[in-house]
Amino acid sequence: MFHYTVHTSLDVVEEKISGVGKALADQRELYLGLLYPTEDYKVYGYVTNSKVKFVIVVDSSNTSLRDNEIRSMFRKLHNSFTDVMCNPFYNPGDPIQSKAFDSIVSTMMVQAC
Amino acid sequence: MSVPDYMQCAEDHQTALVVVQPMGIVPEDQFFRIYKRIASVSQVSIRDSQRVLFIRYRHHYPPENNEWGDFQTHRKVVGLISVTSCTTTKEWPQTSDRFQGQKEVFGSTLYDSRLLVFGLQGEVAEQQRTDVAFYPSYDDCPDVEKRVEDFVESIFIVLESKRLDRATDKSGDKIQLLCAPFEKKDFVGLDTDSRHYKKRCQGRMRKHVGDLCLQAGMLQDALVHYHMAVELLRSVNDFLWLGAALEGLCSASVIFHYPGGTAWKSGARKPGVSSAADAGKRHRPGALTTNGISADTSTEIGRAKNCLSQEDIIEKYKEAISYYGKYKSAGVIELEACIKAVRVLAIQKRAREASECLQNVVYINLGQLSEEEKIQRYSVLSELYELIGFHRKSAFFKRVAAMQCVAPTIPEPGWKACYKLLLETLPGYSLSLDPKDFSKGTHRGWAAVQLRLLHELVYASRRMGNPGLSVRHLSFLLKKEVTQSLENYTSKCPGGMEVISLPDGLKLPPVSFTKLPIVRSVSLLNLPVSLRPHKVKGLLGQGMSSASPFIYSPITMHSRGDERSKKIDFQWVQGDVCEVQLMVYNPMPFELRVENMGLLTSGVDFESLPAALSLPAESGLYPVTLVGVPRTAGNITINGYHTSVFGVSSDCLLEGLVGVKSSGCMVEVVPSLPRLQLCTSLPRSAHLSSEDLSTSVSLRLFNGEMQQLTITLENIGTETLNTLELTSKNLSTKEKLFGEFLTWDLQDALSHLPLKSGQSVSIPVNISAKLDFSGQENLLHDLNDDGISVTGLPVSSPLRQVLKPRAENKPVGSDASKNEFNHVKMLEAVLTFKYSGGAGQVEGYSRELSLGVRVDVEPSVFFTRVSTLPATSTRQCHLLLDVFNSTEHELTLSAKNNQDLVLHASECQRYTHTHTQTPPSLKAISQSQRTSLLLRNELFVEGVLNQLILEHLQLAPLQWDVVVNGKPCDCDVIADCRVGDAVPLEVKLTNRSKSAVGPFSLTVVPFQDYQNGVQNYDLQDAVSFIGSNTFYISTVKPTENSVCVGALLFLYTGDFYLNIKFQDDSTARDLPPAWFCLPSVHVKAQEPVEL
Repeated sequence: MFHYTVHTSLDVVEEKISGVGKALADQRELYLGLLYPTEDYKVYGYVTNSKVKFVIVVDSSNTSLRDNEIRSMFRKLHNSFTDVMCNPFYNPGDPIQSKAFDSIVSTMMVQAC
Repeated sequence: MSVPDYMQCAEDHQTALVVVQPMGIVPEDQFFRIYKRIASVSQVSIRDSQRVLFIRYRHHYPPENNEWGDFQTHRKVVGLISVTSCTTTKEWPQTSDRFQGQKEVFGSTLYDSRLLVFGLQGEVAEQQRTDVAFYPSYDDCPDVEKRVEDFVESIFIVLESKRLDRATDKSGDKIQLLCAPFEKKDFVGLDTDSRHYKKRCQGRMRKHVGDLCLQAGMLQDALVHYHMAVELLRSVNDFLWLGAALEGLCSASVIFHYPGGTAWKSGARKPGVSSAADAGKRHRPGALTTNGISADTSTEIGRAKNCLSQEDIIEKYKEAISYYGKYKSAGVIELEACIKAVRVLAIQKRAREASECLQNVVYINLGQLSEEEKIQRYSVLSELYELIGFHRKSAFFKRVAAMQCVAPTIPEPGWKACYKLLLETLPGYSLSLDPKDFSKGTHRGWAAVQLRLLHELVYASRRMGNPGLSVRHLSFLLKKEVTQSLENYTSKCPGGMEVISLPDGLKLPPVSFTKLPIVRSVSLLNLPVSLRPHKVKGLLGQGMSSASPFIYSPITMHSRGDERSKKIDFQWVQGDVCEVQLMVYNPMPFELRVENMGLLTSGVDFESLPAALSLPAESGLYPVTLVGVPRTAGNITINGYHTSVFGVSSDCLLEGLVGVKSSGCMVEVVPSLPRLQLCTSLPRSAHLSSEDLSTSVSLRLFNGEMQQLTITLENIGTETLNTLELTSKNLSTKEKLFGEFLTWDLQDALSHLPLKSGQSVSIPVNISAKLDFSGQENLLHDLNDDGISVTGLPVSSPLRQVLKPRAENKPVGSDASKNEFNHVKMLEAVLTFKYSGGAGQVEGYSRELSLGVRVDVEPSVFFTRVSTLPATSTRQCHLLLDVFNSTEHELTLSAKNNQDLVLHASECQRYTHTHTQTPPSLKAISQSQRTSLLLRNELFVEGVLNQLILEHLQLAPLQWDVVVNGKPCDCDVIADCRVGDAVPLEVKLTNRSKSAVGPFSLTVVPFQDYQNGVQNYDLQDAVSFIGSNTFYISTVKPTENSVCVGALLFLYTGDFYLNIKFQDDSTARDLPPAWFCLPSVHVKAQEPVEL
């Protein structure tokens, strides 16, 4: 079901990106903040300058994660993703199989739990 | 009120609600035709007031909604139009009663009503009633619209009067308290005299008047009333009504700001843009005139003040919604307010706020909803999301709606509706069912979700009872991902290539499995070498004329665009099996069985021979050869291939495939040619290294052996063979070959032509191997070594002068030499049969069949060493040949002089041959100097003496003859003479060379040899010359001779030797020293005979 949650959240992401003036596109804040809250989850979004979208879904009941924590999570995720992309053997579009990326993501998950 | 109207929009606040209902039995289609005609009268301009009354028609309206009429007047049913059929007058009273009954349902709120009777034509005796209209039939009712307009006008009159009544009512002491339906019991026993209560009544009435004003087309008044109502109600904390007042305010403002309307699609109202604009224009003057206020600027400002700004509208809406939210029973009102707000936000393009609003809608709990209502609710949510541009969210809700259609709680799941809704979600998930869209560009959309959706589609279509659709979707799914259940369906319903059309007009294009398997490259294969057609003549001119004026140009033609249509530079032959190789791989994690894989071609009749293959899971590139037979001549183009995977046949055109490498797809097919099959009397062997050969044979022969090879050619084609040529070519070999390697006689075979199909012809070919196995350098070297060791003395020998210092002590053992010479030499040749016939011959084509012949030549008998021994005379020498038999058989060697020599296997023997020939005939002899050897198995072997040796065996062209005492002196001849007698000495030079030689000077030096290595030249007192001891020979021309004559006088007895030294005056010319080898003369001087 997360697929649907994430998929529909892309609408909001799109809306948020297009909402920012084109002139300001360069200085756009990558972190989009809370996309929308549902009953059980909070969906946060982050869009890189190359329009790669990250979405983090957090349990609504989890109050320990504040905006700042989410923001730093995204930043970590983005850095790790950049490393993956820098790998000359990686073809953009393929599923990411990097162990480093995987471990970073899973540490974040553990931290969030 | 439990039924929300999801179609609500802000403009509805200014409409009057009219319910149109069928009464009794009215055919549905007829009713809706009439309903449509009635509904077309949605706005009516009132004649004398310039105002417009908007009417909202409903053919179904729950009475409990009507109860909210006081709360918001647009919810109140103010008019009723009943449509009924009445065929006889007898039925009329009954009909009339029922109309009364129907009126009573909405009785409390109705302003007016009409009854449309179809079937009667005024035959009713009763007096004409204004509220009843009779029509003969549903088709014959031209003035329905007119009547409805009249009806609307009458409603307007009532509305207007009510408005005026209420508006002026404020002076009265007792204002009735208007209540929402659920409030009624709350106010029982409340103090009606309190100020608070009064204010509440006032506020609510104000709000009510505002509603009426809005409905009556007096926007401005409505705004004023709403503002007042808001203030009043806010002071008494009457939140529900405050919310309603705020909403009214918003509605009025929205109507003012957006005369075009906020409904995104045709609801009950259908205002065209222009007419709506007109309506908007008409509102304002109407409002002004009825207020009786002159149109000066201050009122404009005032109006602008009253009217909410765009931002305020949203603010107020939010406020109103929050107030509604306080009341559980007002859920529907809240919901509708939300929807209205969303529509306004959508128009303002504030999608995010709209989405928040919609999010709120999702959480509004309306209690128990029926499944149908749920579906409707989700559909509306989906549409609203679509409206604000959230396509994904929209698709999500549509999908939820679709799932709701088939929820397990529903007794009869609506799979059809589900399927339809699911189809509608596809664009939201960026999913196109057309494989064309799929194959182009990169993958779009969320794969996991798309996959799930497709699964759902498949399931729905199956449950719908349409397996064909299911197959098509599954095919598509398979194309994207993996599933195997397709096979089960195809057994029931084969997946074809035709377009499936759904009843609702959607077309499902055929799905071709271009990815099952994935084809990476397509290459047309040339025919095997033996079957390739060769153009007999005119090929060069033809090929050149089309390409370029340059014979060679480094600039290649840029033909990247039409690479596919490029013609390939080889030909196929009609009637022969042609091959196309595809490199395929199976991307699936299971074994893929591809059946009936064949070629799609155009241009000539092509009989494709389908192939079936099975690709292992996730195979690498895998070559597949598809074959077919062109049935006519011409140009053939390979367009694609067809497959049958999981029972689904697909036609895959190359041009539609991405990433397919092709070197061209067009090839010329030439008319049919005969085919020859070749078989030989020898077993076949592996092909020769470089050449493209159809067959090859190999055999082993001893050097000098000859063998016959019989080649049988059979015409296995259908055409008659008319011409046959045979050529041979020796492949480059370093070996010097003596005689013809391959010889044949074709005459016999040619006499059999033309060769019909199935007939055969034999050609005998003789193979003979004659090679030189003598190790050339070694041979000579050994010879020279022997020259020293054997002769010992530098005696006169024709070969002596080429002596070289002995380099090393070579082992003379036969084992070493055996190893050295035992290697096998190889001879290769290609026999080419060129033949033609049939239609292809007319076109100038022929075929070539080539047979490779490889012969490993083993050495049989060869000379390991050749040496010479000086014979007794300078005219003779002994030729020593070391003959080695490298075979494992016993050989008998027979020479010309019938000297037989038996050689055992691997035995080396010395064979002596004496050269007795005189110089003139030596060369001729040496050429015929072949030693015939008889092998025990009766085979003749000829060993050939190396030419190099023969050169050394040639005698020098200058022949020296020394005559002493009238007697020619040669090596071993001892000339006798007497002491005291003069011994005449004659030196004669005969020139046999081709050029003149000379001048030379010769000096005769006598010496004595003590046979102990000491030679005494000091013989002045023993030997005396009569005359000069030095001779001068001037030029000697070819074939001439010159004679020098002198005399010697020996004074003592003894053995004397004469050494004739010579000196060459001409330093310029270098003549070989061997040419001047003069014999030593041995003279024995004896006591003079005592007389």
